[in-house]
Amino acid sequence: MKEKVKKADINRLKDYFWEIPTSFREDMRVPARALASESIIDDIIEDRSLNQLVNVATLPGIQKASFVMPDVHEGYGFPIGGVAATSYPDGAISPGGIGYDINCGVRLLISNLQYEDVKDKMEVLSREMYAQIPSGMGKGGQITLTDKQMTDVLTRGAEWAVENGYGKKEDLEYMESHGKLPNADPNLVSDFAKKRGRSQLGTIGSGNHFVEVDYIEEIYDSEISKAFNLKKGQIVILIHTGSRGLGHQVATDYIRIMMNAMPKYNIELPDRELACVPFNSEEGQNYFKAMCAAANYAWCNREVISWEARIAWKNTFGDEGGELKLLYDIAHNIAKIEDYIIDTKEQKVIVHRKGATRAFGPGFEELPKAYISVGQPVIIPGSMGTCSYVLAGTAKSKDLTFGSCCHGAGRRLSRRAAKQQVNAPTLKEELREQGIYVEAGSFKGIAEEAPIAYKDVNLVVETVQNSGIAKKVAKLRPVAVVKG
Amino acid sequence: MSIEYLSHTADITMHIQAKTLEGLFKNGVKGMGNILKEGFCEFSHEINAKVMIEVKAADNTSLLIDFLSDVLSQSYIENVVFWNIEIIELKKYKIRAKLSGTKVEIYDEDIKAVTYHEANVTRNDEGYWCTSIIFDI
Repeated sequence: MKEKVKKADINRLKDYFWEIPTSFREDMRVPARALASESIIDDIIEDRSLNQLVNVATLPGIQKASFVMPDVHEGYGFPIGGVAATSYPDGAISPGGIGYDINCGVRLLISNLQYEDVKDKMEVLSREMYAQIPSGMGKGGQITLTDKQMTDVLTRGAEWAVENGYGKKEDLEYMESHGKLPNADPNLVSDFAKKRGRSQLGTIGSGNHFVEVDYIEEIYDSEISKAFNLKKGQIVILIHTGSRGLGHQVATDYIRIMMNAMPKYNIELPDRELACVPFNSEEGQNYFKAMCAAANYAWCNREVISWEARIAWKNTFGDEGGELKLLYDIAHNIAKIEDYIIDTKEQKVIVHRKGATRAFGPGFEELPKAYISVGQPVIIPGSMGTCSYVLAGTAKSKDLTFGSCCHGAGRRLSRRAAKQQVNAPTLKEELREQGIYVEAGSFKGIAEEAPIAYKDVNLVVETVQNSGIAKKVAKLRPVAVVKG
Repeated sequence: MSIEYLSHTADITMHIQAKTLEGLFKNGVKGMGNILKEGFCEFSHEINAKVMIEVKAADNTSLLIDFLSDVLSQSYIENVVFWNIEIIELKKYKIRAKLSGTKVEIYDEDIKAVTYHEANVTRNDEGYWCTSIIFDI
C-alpha cells in the first residue's frame, strides 16, 4: 500500500491551487495539482482521491501536472474530477482516464416560458417527461437499431438523430465537437458493445443520470447571459447521461487489451485501472477510434432524449409552449487532442477528462457565433434538491487546467450510506413541498441521489469562479426531476 | 464461503472469500447477481438462459475480473441474471464455465463495469481464497 497523502505533503501554490511535488513519490513524472479552497482540500484528504491523483502523475508522457477539480472524489484508477494531458503522439492513452461511461455529459435546453406563468403545470410536465423518456435499470428505448443504423450512429453521432427525425439540425452547432468526433471507427467496437447499445438510444439509464426541469433563479453576468439567451425566471431542461451499455463495454474491452499489451511497451503502473499504451501504438489508435465511436453514440443519445423531452413539452403546453432550443451540450468523460502552450512552445496533447468539463474561453472557433465573444457555456449540475449553474469558460482555463473545469457537485456519501441515512418516500414528499416533483423508477434511486449525498455545489462553483477558470452566468433551481 | 458488501464513495465494493478458487469464482457470480437483482441468487428459479464462457488471462486476478465482465456483458445482452455456474475447467489462468440463469424484466442496480481497482486474488492466513472487487455503478 502506497503512503497516503497528508496535508503536510501539499504545498499551496497560490489561492485555490495546491500541489503535491514530485518529491512525494519517486515514480511521479510531474507534480499533482488540486484546484480547491482550503476547506475542500481538508475534505478530499479524507478519501484516497489525492493518492489516485499522484498515481495519474506517473503516466508515461504526462505533461505539466495531473489535475483534480474541486468536485473531486475517489474513483478507481483516476479520481473522478481528474484531468491529465499526455504528449502527442507518443504519450499514454488510458481508457481509465476517460471512464466506463464514455462521453457521459450534460446539455441544457432553453424555453421561452417563465416559471411564474406555468408553475401549476410542473407536476403534469414531470409525469409527461417520465412517460416519454425511458429511465431506470435495463429499460430499452423506442428505437432498435439495425446493423447499418448502428454503424451510422457510431460514425455520425448526433447527425444521425437529426437526419432520421429524432433531432433538430440547428442543435448540431450548439454541441461540443458539433456532436461528432471524426476519428470514429465502428469496426473497432465489439459485437458485445453493439448488442448492448442496440435498443438503448434515447434512454437515460440509472445511477446519477437524470432529466431535470429548472428555472433560472439568478443571473450573475448580464452580458454573457444575453449571449446565451438566458433570462431570470425562464424554464430550462437539463439532461445528464452518456453512452450507456455500449460505452461501458468499449471501456471494458480496451482496458483488458491494454493490460495485456503494457508489458510490450515496458509500462508499469501503480494501479491496473490506469492501464495505458502509447497513443500512436496499434492498441492506442484502436481504442481512440472506438472511444470516438462511443462518444458519437452518446451525443446521438442525448439528441434523441431531447426529442423525447420536446414531445413531453408539447404534450404539456401545446403550441403555446414554443420551441426548446439547445444552449449547449458538453462531454465530461472523454479524451481530445488539443493545443496548449507548454514551456513556451505550442504543443498538441491528449487531454483526458474524467468527470471534468471543457471550459474554453472567448475566441474559440468551434463555438456558435453568438458565444465566440463570451466563451463556452459550462453546465454544472448540482443535486436534485439544491441548484445547478451555467458558467462560461475563460482564457485562463487553458493556462491553468488544460481548458478544464469541474463537472458537478461531487459525491460525498457512498450510495450505501445515503440509503442508510435517507428515507426516500419522506424525501420525495419534502421535495414536493418545496415545489420539486420527483419521478423515479425506485425509491432506492431517490435515496442514493439525495442532496445529502453530494457536496455543496455552491462552494465548488465559487472555487472555480474565484480561481478564474470560469465565470458564473446563471443559477438554476430544480422544479421537476426524472431519475433513473 | 462469504460475500460481503462495503461502502465506496460512488460505487460498490464486494469482498468475497472461499475455500477453493472455484468457490471464489462462484461467489463472484453470485455476489454480482445479487447486486443486479437483490437476493436473486439466494434461491433457485426457472432456468431459461444458458451460456458458455471461456476466458484466458495473465493471472488469477485478471482471470476473475475478465470472467465477471463477460458474465455481466452476457447478462445485459440477454436480460438475464446468472445464478447457477458449472465450472468445466479451471487451470492456470484459464476458465471454461457453463452458466444458467433466469430472464428478468428489470434490474435493481445498473453495474457499468467490474473494475480491476484494488482487486487482488490471494490466499489469506487461514488458507481461504479472497479478493475485493469494486463495481462501477
